[in-house]
Amino acid sequence: MFPADELNVETEFAVDAQGVRKRFGAIEALRGLDLAIRAGEIYGLLGPNGSGKTTFIRCVAGLLRPEGGMLTVLGGAPSAAVSAGRVGYMTQAAALYGDLSVDENLRFFAALQGVAHADERIVEALRTVDLLDRQRSVVNTLSSGMRTRVSLAATLLHRPSLLLLDEPTVGVDPLLRQEFWAYFRKLAASGTTLLVSSHVMDEASRCDRLGLIRAGAVLAEGTANELVARAGTPDLESAFLALAEAR
Amino acid sequence: MNGHRVRAVAKRIVLGFRRDRRSLGLLFVAPVVVLSLVGAVWGVATERVPTVVVATDRFNFPAPIVDRFVASSAIHGRRGTFEEGLSQLRDGKVDAVVWLEGTTLHIQIEGADPLESGSIGGAIQKALADTLAGASVLLGGGPAVQVDQLYGGPDYSILDYLAPVLVAFFAFFFIFLLSAVSFLRERTTGTLERLMATPLRRAELVLGYLAGFSFFALLQAIVILLFTVFVLKVHYRGTLATIFIVEAVLVIGAVSLGLLVSAAARNELQAVQFVPIVLLPQVFLSGLLIPVDQLPDYLRPLSAVLPLTYANEALRSVMIKGYELADPLVLRDIGILVVFGLVMAVGAVTSIRREVA
Repeated sequence: MFPADELNVETEFAVDAQGVRKRFGAIEALRGLDLAIRAGEIYGLLGPNGSGKTTFIRCVAGLLRPEGGMLTVLGGAPSAAVSAGRVGYMTQAAALYGDLSVDENLRFFAALQGVAHADERIVEALRTVDLLDRQRSVVNTLSSGMRTRVSLAATLLHRPSLLLLDEPTVGVDPLLRQEFWAYFRKLAASGTTLLVSSHVMDEASRCDRLGLIRAGAVLAEGTANELVARAGTPDLESAFLALAEAR
Repeated sequence: MNGHRVRAVAKRIVLGFRRDRRSLGLLFVAPVVVLSLVGAVWGVATERVPTVVVATDRFNFPAPIVDRFVASSAIHGRRGTFEEGLSQLRDGKVDAVVWLEGTTLHIQIEGADPLESGSIGGAIQKALADTLAGASVLLGGGPAVQVDQLYGGPDYSILDYLAPVLVAFFAFFFIFLLSAVSFLRERTTGTLERLMATPLRRAELVLGYLAGFSFFALLQAIVILLFTVFVLKVHYRGTLATIFIVEAVLVIGAVSLGLLVSAAARNELQAVQFVPIVLLPQVFLSGLLIPVDQLPDYLRPLSAVLPLTYANEALRSVMIKGYELADPLVLRDIGILVVFGLVMAVGAVTSIRREVA
């Protein structure tokens, strides 16, 4: 059911999920979820709140163990990919140490990921999220949008092969959101695979491919244009509703 | 003042508790557990019969009276020489040695624990009263009684006797609380989830926490020790370094226990409610208030698994009796405290499940 601990860097799919199941008590969060994310693409996991997006991302991050199905991350078990420092996970909440400075937070996460030349990487990551001038600020003094940016910076430090971004643009202003997506595109171009969850449909068009998820299962997979064409609707939001009803 | 709004706030609190079953359980279970302990410890007569050596080489009462004294039900009487008795008292094999000097009955006790001393002295005086009942006319009244202590004495205040156990208790209490709540914040702020999605292993996380908190725990131990000795001017006989080593192993165990408890709690409220569950049994069963020897038999096994029991014994031995680090009793207590810390640390590691939700 579960893949071996070794990673296969030449794998075609960065994430391969077949019939993944996960339940919390009486609630079945994932009901045989199937999807495959190609290496180097931006994959959007799109669905309403409670549809299983975060549960799936947490399975990929090795935080939850699926009860059924097969889940391969970078050609091996999720925990092996995480242990090898190949995965970056940006949680929905900023999840930083509020009483430490931005620099101290980033230095800590860099140490955990075994990042060499941490000074350069921290400056590079902070420049990416446009917070270089707040390097010495204590995190508790930052706005929520700034904390989200620090959180993204912390995820980028070790240049992961697979980046898991759980609703990364929540609380981020439109201008910076544009910059985030430009940076995501740059990362993908350099070979990083990105799994981005969102319930905002207008972000979907920025992804290479989408998985529409509802009630713990994927309704449809494809590019935004393919999904719209398949549903015969004018836009993605209507396509999602049409595909959900068709199920 | 709007009654509806007050009612809405009150209802919100009741509904919140209804869904927080762990807090609700602790709210009712914690006091019942603690009261059960209080009832068991103080509600049951726990008069312990002390073992007393009657130094026959220094006890020139008529033989029938000596026989009656040794056979008294208030004590476990034994015959022996004065030197044998003192040796057994030092080794902790007997509770007292009695002998006569002129018309004065001397009771030699260990004296490290005033509560125990009172109980032993009372039992011997009762045995003496039973023995002399009816015989006092013959003897022209009972002898005067003088109690001598191996350790402590008239220049010792109650604080001198309590300081060793209070030092242990305060060091344990504060660092346990701090580590329990701090580690819980990793979970509630989401950083634990982030940490678990890095190559960091659970054992590394716990060891890191242990190292970080132990730094402050040891500083705190030094402050408590120096304040007790130099500001409160508590008498102590052993070396400061030995006292510090006992304190150090105790507080490192307290950090581990704090981490374990925080893994069981989901929020700060629950963590705080674990405090009485963890600490109050140690107050009642570790020799802090009642000598361990005087506990009911069925509570002794519980006392034997509490770290403060060993810390109290070791610190009393060092501070009041002047035992050194190399003393087998002190080494045994330190060893048990180290094992306790290790077991709690392993428990903390296994309790941080990969599934942190």
